[in-house]
Amino acid sequence: MRAPSYRAGYRRTTLGPLAFRVRLRPLVICLALAGAMLAGALWALMHGSLHIPTGAAIAALTGGEANREVLHIIMEVRLPRVLMAMLIGAMLGLAGAAMQTLTRNGLADPGLIGVKEGASIGVLLVLFGAPGLSLGWRPVAGLAGGLSAALLVCALARDLSGLRFVLVGIGLSWLLSAVLLIFLTTADINDVETALLWLAGSLHNAAWPMLPVAALWGALGALTLAATARQADAALLGDAAASGLGVRLKGLNGLRLASSALMTAAAVSCVGSLGFVGLMAPHMARLMVGGGQGALLTGSALCGGFLVLAADTFGRLAFAPLQIPAGIVMAVFGVPVFLLLLWHRRDRL
Amino acid sequence: MAPMLLAGIALAYLGFGARVIPPATVIEALFAFDPTRFDHKVVVELRMVRLLVGLLAGASLGVCGALLQAITRNPLGEPHVLGLNAGAVLAVVSSITFGPALASGFPAVSGPVLIAARPVVAACGAAAMFALVLATASAGRQGLTPLKVTLCGIALSSFAAALTSAQLILDDQTLATIRLWLAGDLSGQSYAALRGAVPVCLLGFGLACAIAGRLNAMALGDGVASGLGVDLVRTRWAGLAAAGLLCGAAVSLAGPIGFVGLVVPHVVRACITRDLRLLLPLSAVLGACLLLAADLAARSLLAPRELATGALTALVGVPVFLALAARSR
Repeated sequence: MRAPSYRAGYRRTTLGPLAFRVRLRPLVICLALAGAMLAGALWALMHGSLHIPTGAAIAALTGGEANREVLHIIMEVRLPRVLMAMLIGAMLGLAGAAMQTLTRNGLADPGLIGVKEGASIGVLLVLFGAPGLSLGWRPVAGLAGGLSAALLVCALARDLSGLRFVLVGIGLSWLLSAVLLIFLTTADINDVETALLWLAGSLHNAAWPMLPVAALWGALGALTLAATARQADAALLGDAAASGLGVRLKGLNGLRLASSALMTAAAVSCVGSLGFVGLMAPHMARLMVGGGQGALLTGSALCGGFLVLAADTFGRLAFAPLQIPAGIVMAVFGVPVFLLLLWHRRDRL
Repeated sequence: MAPMLLAGIALAYLGFGARVIPPATVIEALFAFDPTRFDHKVVVELRMVRLLVGLLAGASLGVCGALLQAITRNPLGEPHVLGLNAGAVLAVVSSITFGPALASGFPAVSGPVLIAARPVVAACGAAAMFALVLATASAGRQGLTPLKVTLCGIALSSFAAALTSAQLILDDQTLATIRLWLAGDLSGQSYAALRGAVPVCLLGFGLACAIAGRLNAMALGDGVASGLGVDLVRTRWAGLAAAGLLCGAAVSLAGPIGFVGLVVPHVVRACITRDLRLLLPLSAVLGACLLLAADLAARSLLAPRELATGALTALVGVPVFLALAARSR
């Protein structure tokens, strides 16, 4: 007679002093997703205005023999952009997964409920109120804006799980974008140009200095979510059952909401607004990987990274030499998915 | 009383600006125009066009909102929320980018014709978008619920907005010509554009008034309405066409301005009447008042700089939206 956890698909693995229980199927699927993402990244590195053959691209990446031009294109132009796309996608996917679990609402997306606009306002305030500050402060300002927007939505909607939450969030995002519009129509014209460039949500000017900043905040949020994954699983059983199992719901929800807003705000402050990733990635992950929070979070991060990478590469190559921002590509493909999700819930809304 | 309010706002609207003109002079300019006096020329030749654009767009938006709320039985019905504005903008932008190329085969269709046809193009875009929203939102057992209509409207309008901005990125000449219009702005219109929009607007308003009685019956429920002899399908199609025409006229003149159509019918319903036959004309008058007041504020709050009118109407309208959304179920 095997243990129940074995029958549920869990296998015990040890890694030095650490011991995990891992389920085989999600693990294999996640590895396959990661492989697909890396292959996609390599493909994106090779294509552009100058086609670089596979061998040369790998040689440039691994420090092998490559000519200077290829080395420069790969290392300074395409690699930071590809890495940024995957990182931002992973952060948005994680944020969306956390938000959907938290609100028990498959239509919740931190980008949809005003966090994006709140973060934009915060960043613009810093950008023009205190132009001397370094790049690292931008996500902090974005975080303050995004988090206050999220708190405002929670306060106005009172009930997190209802769809009213989404409706109130959308209303708030309109209000904040009206504030943004007023800023854009009254500010100095030079400021407006800087702001517009940044707001368009393009990975066009992704560069090395921004990567560690994004990675830092992303890692902070991801670690918080991973650490609370088990409790979040319990919280899904319902408030009463979760409290009975010893989960402190208020603290848990606050922490997860904060880390979700944190990652969205950090992503927005690095590349501007990029919608629908947080909505689509968790659903893709649920379809492919399934299982508990751990698997969902990993899957969402991978799917999100893949989505943004694909959207950015498509926008970069489809109409070359003109570039379509990834945010626009994402909206064109994201809306049908959103409608499909609505269709699934058509009898319950 | 509403017409008097409108007349007062219109007088103030014509009087305020970079040069403040007293109401007596404004009235004099309107009824005894003297081309040699500078104030008269300012009122009649500069500010009058903008006033008329504001009147027409505000009235159309107010009626359009009242109509949408009646057709979808949804307190959140509004051209911006339900995606009509985005559809109209997409149609206009596409006609600017692809129009000249398509029309090159037909010498009769030249630039001025394309501009004159803009309200019709916008109306087609708005009506098509509304039809799409209604079609996707009426899936499911309960049919059109406020939540589904709103979510579908938002999703489809972000889709249309993405297509619009993709076109504008690929063609920055178009962007340069219509950038201000995209933010929702009453300035920079001519009598020619106004002449194109007036018939579209009147047609929409006439159609709306013609079906007002039947929409009143439909408010009692589909069963009761068909018992009273209302052809539900035909009434809905007529309502869709009227909403599209009104929204198209407003968008082609003033750009996508939101939330006027949300606020005004609610105010009328709360203070005066729920009867659509009276509500539609009152919404027209109050919609014009609201838009003119918002535009006056946009012009004078930070003078000499102008705020976007669309942003100001959003600042007034979104709190109303939030209050309605927070109250729903």
